[in-house]
This record gives sequence, C-alpha cells and structure tokens, in this order.
Amino acid sequence: MLAIGFMLTDEQRTVIDAVEELLRKLKPRQEAYFKSIYDDQHYPDELWEHMSALGLFGALVPEAYGGSGLGLLAMTLAMERFAAHGLGNVLAVLTTMDAMAILRGGTEAQKRRFLPAIAEGKLRMAFAITEPDAGTNSFRMRTLARKDGSVYRLSGRKAWITGADRADYVLVVARTIPYEEVIAQGLRERYGMGLFLVDTKAEGLSMQAMETVGIEGFRQFFLYLDDVEVPEDHRIGDEHDGAEVMFDALNPERILFAAKGVGMTEYALARAAEYAKARRVFGDTPIAAYQGVQHPLARLKVLQEAARMLTYQAAEAFDRGRARSEVGLFANMAKYLASETAFEAIDRAIQTHGGNGFSKEYHLIRMMAPARLMKTAPINNEMVLNYIAERALGLPRSY
Amino acid sequence: MKIVVLLKQTFDTEEKVVVEGGKVKEDGAQFIINPYDEYAVEEAIRIKESGDAEVVLISYGPARAEEALRKALAMGADRAILIEDETPSADEAYVAELIARAVEKEAPDILLAGYFSVDNGAGQVALRVAERLGMNHVGAVLKLTLDGDRVRAERDAEGDIEVVETTLPVLLTAQQGLNDPRYPSLPGIMKAKKKPLDRLTPGELGVERKETTQVIEQYLPPKKEAGKIIGGTAEEAARELVRLLREEAKVV
Ligand SMILES: Cc1cc2nc3c(=O)[nH]c(=O)nc-3n(C[C@H](O)[C@H](O)[C@H](O)COP(=O)(O)OP(=O)(O)OC[C@H]3O[C@@H](n4cnc5c(N)ncnc54)[C@H](O)[C@@H]3O)c2cc1C
Repeated sequence: MLAIGFMLTDEQRTVIDAVEELLRKLKPRQEAYFKSIYDDQHYPDELWEHMSALGLFGALVPEAYGGSGLGLLAMTLAMERFAAHGLGNVLAVLTTMDAMAILRGGTEAQKRRFLPAIAEGKLRMAFAITEPDAGTNSFRMRTLARKDGSVYRLSGRKAWITGADRADYVLVVARTIPYEEVIAQGLRERYGMGLFLVDTKAEGLSMQAMETVGIEGFRQFFLYLDDVEVPEDHRIGDEHDGAEVMFDALNPERILFAAKGVGMTEYALARAAEYAKARRVFGDTPIAAYQGVQHPLARLKVLQEAARMLTYQAAEAFDRGRARSEVGLFANMAKYLASETAFEAIDRAIQTHGGNGFSKEYHLIRMMAPARLMKTAPINNEMVLNYIAERALGLPRSY
Repeated sequence: MKIVVLLKQTFDTEEKVVVEGGKVKEDGAQFIINPYDEYAVEEAIRIKESGDAEVVLISYGPARAEEALRKALAMGADRAILIEDETPSADEAYVAELIARAVEKEAPDILLAGYFSVDNGAGQVALRVAERLGMNHVGAVLKLTLDGDRVRAERDAEGDIEVVETTLPVLLTAQQGLNDPRYPSLPGIMKAKKKPLDRLTPGELGVERKETTQVIEQYLPPKKEAGKIIGGTAEEAARELVRLLREEAKVV
C-alpha cells in the first residue's frame, strides 16, 4: 500500500499514479536494471528516456519554455517513486538542480536556449563544486575563472564529480576572484564566485574516473580544467555573485536527495516486511511475528512518513517561491531525516534478511553505499545540523 | 475517419486476486485497462497519428471505469462515453446489445476492441456488437494495414498467421503483439482531465436489462502442490515413478 498522506492535490496524485504506472510497466525489466546499476555501475539510459517521455523534465520547465510547469514537487514525487523501486537516478537530480539554476538565475536568452532541451530530456547535466581540498568549505575552492575578452578561461581541479562521463554539460562553480583576495578586501567569502556551464567536450577539459563504489550506476570523476574556454553567455548569474544562484540550486538538490531517501526507505521496509512474513526460523512462526523484528521496522516507517512530509513541504515551498532561507530550512531538515532514515532502513532490512541480507540477489547490501552516501553528500549531516541550529534556533556559528 | 474503441476496466490479474463469497473482492484490487483493450487504444491512436481520425472510447461499467477511460484519453484518445452501471452485467448478449446501441450512434469506420477481457475471458462482446451492426470483423489481429477503404489484417490463427483482407467499416480485435502501448505522459494526463466524457445509463440507450446467462460463482483454481523430485539412477527413478503413478496417483 502506498501511504502518501492525504493532503496531496489532484495534480500531485496524478504525478504519482503516472510514475507508478510507468514503473509497473517496467517491472519485468527490473532485474536487468539492477544488474546494470549494481554490477556494471551503469544507470540504464533507457530509464532516462522513460523519465523524459513521461514528461518529468518538462515538469520543471514553465510552459513558456516548452514545459508543463508542474514544478519541482512533480520531480520530487517521481524521484521518490523511482527510488522506492530501487531505481533512484542521481543524474536526474543533478540535471534538475542545474535546470533550476538556469530557471532562477539565467538570462532570457539562456532560458530560451537551454530550457526547451531540458524539458525534452535532451540535456544531461552534472554539477561540480567540490575540490580535493575544498569540500564542506567550498568557498576556499581554487578553480579560477579568468575573464578574457568575451570568454572566460577556467583552470583548476574538481573531485567527486558524479556522472561527468554521462553529462552534456557540467555546471562548474569557480572563483572569479581568488579567495585570499576576497578576504583581504574584507568582502564576504561567498563573493567572487561564478557559475559556468561547461560543455563536457570542451577543449582543455579532461576527466579521470575515481575508484569509488559509485551511486546507483553513476561514477565519480576528477575533472581537470586546463584553460577551458567558456563563452560569456554560458555564465549563469552575476560574474561575482554566482553564489546567489547556486543556493537556489542547492536547495532542490537537497530536496531530491531527501525524496530519494524516502523512496529507498520504502524499498527497504517493503523488502524487509515481505521477507519476514515468509521466513520461518523457529517452528512454523514467521519471523515477522516477533516484535523484535516488527518494532524497528515500524519505527522506521514513522520516520519515513515524517521525512516525506518535510520533503514535500520543502518542494512546495520552493515551487511557491518562498524565501530561500525558509526553503533551505525545510530542505535541510528533510535531507537530514531522510538520509538518516534511509541508512537505518537498509541496515534493518539487511538484519531482517539474516545472511541473505548480504547476498547480491537481495540487492540490499549493494544499496548500503548509496544510502550511506546521503549522510555525507551532497552535504554532510553535521553541516546540515549546523545550519538548522543557526537558522532555526539562533545558535552561534561554531566554525 | 472515426474510430471507436471498446474498453473495459478489469482488475489486474498480475496482482493478487482475492475471491470472497463467490466473488472477486474489489476492495483493494488494482484496476487497469484490460490489457488487450490497451493494444486497441494504442492502435487507434497510431492510426490517428498517421492520418486524421477521431478516437472515441466506449466503456460499460461502474463509475470507477472513468479512471481507465481517463488513462486512454491521456494516451491520446479524443473523447469517451461511459455506459454507467454500478452492478454491471456479465451476460455478453446483453452487454453487446447495450454497446451496439452506443456504437451505432457514433457510426465508426473502424471499431477496435481487445481480443478478450482478462476477467471474464469469454471474448464475445466485441464480436456480438459487430454482428448486431452488420460489420465485417477480424479477430486477434497482430498487424494492421489500412489503404483507403481496404483493410489488411494479419491475425493469430492459433500459432499460425492468417492474412485477411476486408473493407471498412470493420471491427478488429487486438491480440498481444499488435503494438507496444505507450504510457500516458504528464502533459497528456493534464489534457485528458479536460477531454469530454459523457455518461449514459442503459435506460437512456433504450435497452432493458435482459440476461440469458448469469455468473453463479467465482473461485480460484486449486493451489498447485509442490512438485516431487525423484532421485537415484535412471532405473531406480523410473521404478519409483511407476510405483507412485500406480499407488499414489492411481493413474496407471
Ligand atoms: C559518492 C560521492 C559523490 C559526490 N558527487 C559530487 C558531485 O557530483 N559534485 C560535487 O561537487 N561534489 C560531489 N561530492 C562531494 C561531496 O559533496 C563532498 O565529499 C562533501 O561535501 C564533503 O566534503 P569533503 O569530502 O571535502 O569532506 P570535508 O570537508 O573534509 O569534511 C570531512 C568531515 O568533517 C566534518 N565536518 C566538516 N566541517 C564541519 C563543521 N563545520 N562542523 C561539523 N563537522 C564538520 C563532517 O563530518 C565531514 O563529513 C560527492 C561525494 C561523494 C562521496
């Protein structure tokens, strides 16, 4: 049964039904998809095509630019459903956040150029902010964008860039003024950063796969930028104030990761319940009858529903154009609860499966890494709690 | 060109079906477009897309059948007619009479329907409609080619393929393999909400409920017992098999 709350609008229900209908049709392919995702570290292109055909990317884009204008909540619901079937799609998350950056911070010409293609699902986009020595504290990044006539030249090194090999563009965050200079001039540390849509085939850009376990079929990459030329009209937002736009994109990323966590939790709990009802260990009683098995699952169900409500609320706040700080607070709370819950849920589902929890056949052990990841990336949960402490409780900043 | 598609909402036989008190339990069942009807809808939309046609859906069933109609509208059909009956009859002759009256008013060039419905499985209604309206018909169609008034259909003849040529107006029933039905896109679903859906009652069609058959009881097929694997050498196994067939199954 789909417990999805009763306060959804007709439109939102429609989105859920449409995605469920699609996933029902794709069910016979599920094992093949799992094989591709978890054995071959390759998220199936076919699933991207289905998401596009269903109109999920179109939902992000206003009608004026060729979309249906349903908003982020539609993608949020869809992401949850995909993850609930074990098919979370991180590149769709990244493409969404980049789309939101263009939508909120792009010029009219940029919107007309990129949004229709995004709506059709023809553009796949990654996001690059992290560097080997600037993760949590990304203001200290070293990648530099130098203005050179009508172009920018980007140089530096990015790390952990998910799906760079599968993307058409990477939205690269670069310093337009070096960090030290900004500080020396007494400016805010977020000043002097720009966003650049870099063609993944651009000259001077190279990438190297990192040895990671990946996230559901997407690998991570080092990006080397060696004087990569980026046309001025590929800069999203102000030259030195790209951070403004970036924050508008980071919230959707957190919201969609939260949705993925809610979905993964559903997957884990459903598998655990199904297995527990069939597995008999002592006599003829299924292990599902033991409260020691039930209660942890029931508790996680509660947390999942709470995370789901936070997530929908955050997406709704974003769609309604509420203040960024308000969206941010809900996005962070949603991401926190969803990620902690998803990790625990996979852990519990593994426990419920006994030794089978470690068998590839049951997939759970392989979902452990993507579930665990959400506590660390896109942002670690300590920083999330820092944010909540500061913004919701007015506590002093500790770092 | 006008195409009418007959569509029934059925419970999903891929999901768990519960029978209670001699009836399929509806509460908790998943309802879908009868899969064979879905091929019919898809084919109609493809004909529309390759030329110019209006696609009209007709369904007989309870109010909840609207969901199935909306879904087919979201796939691309233009409008729908629901002959509403909260306790629909399973008598094929009566149902066919009702539907024939509704189809007659639309006077389609092509009438499309599923080969049979996965719930009752009789495969009679569509053929009876064609019979009543004096239309040509080809059943279990796997491939369809239209050329003006001429119709060429490849049909599933119990494993073989039979090629039938006929002319419009015609009833074609869709067999699995005719096409791969699309799923509705979000914009399609949004549009479908605003497409016309007319509701009629059997009375409004001037047909009195008259049933010559009745469903007395429904029950699930007996559960399959776990199979038995006989071990040993070929000779031992054969000996044991014969013994079991004779002593336990008592068939030889
Ligand atoms: C699989 C994967 C995919 C990724 N994909 C992308 C991508 O597509 N694009 C991209 O740009 N980046 C990506 N990242 C990078 C990710 O966002 C960073 O790894 C993350 O933000 C943490 O940065 P860091 O690794 O430098 O950790 P550090 O900054 O070194 O932090 C280490 C730990 O210190 C603690 N900590 C740090 N500061 C504080 C504080 N103020 N208060 C309390 N605790 C603190 C936290 O526990 C933190 O986990 C990905 C990472 C992984 C693992």
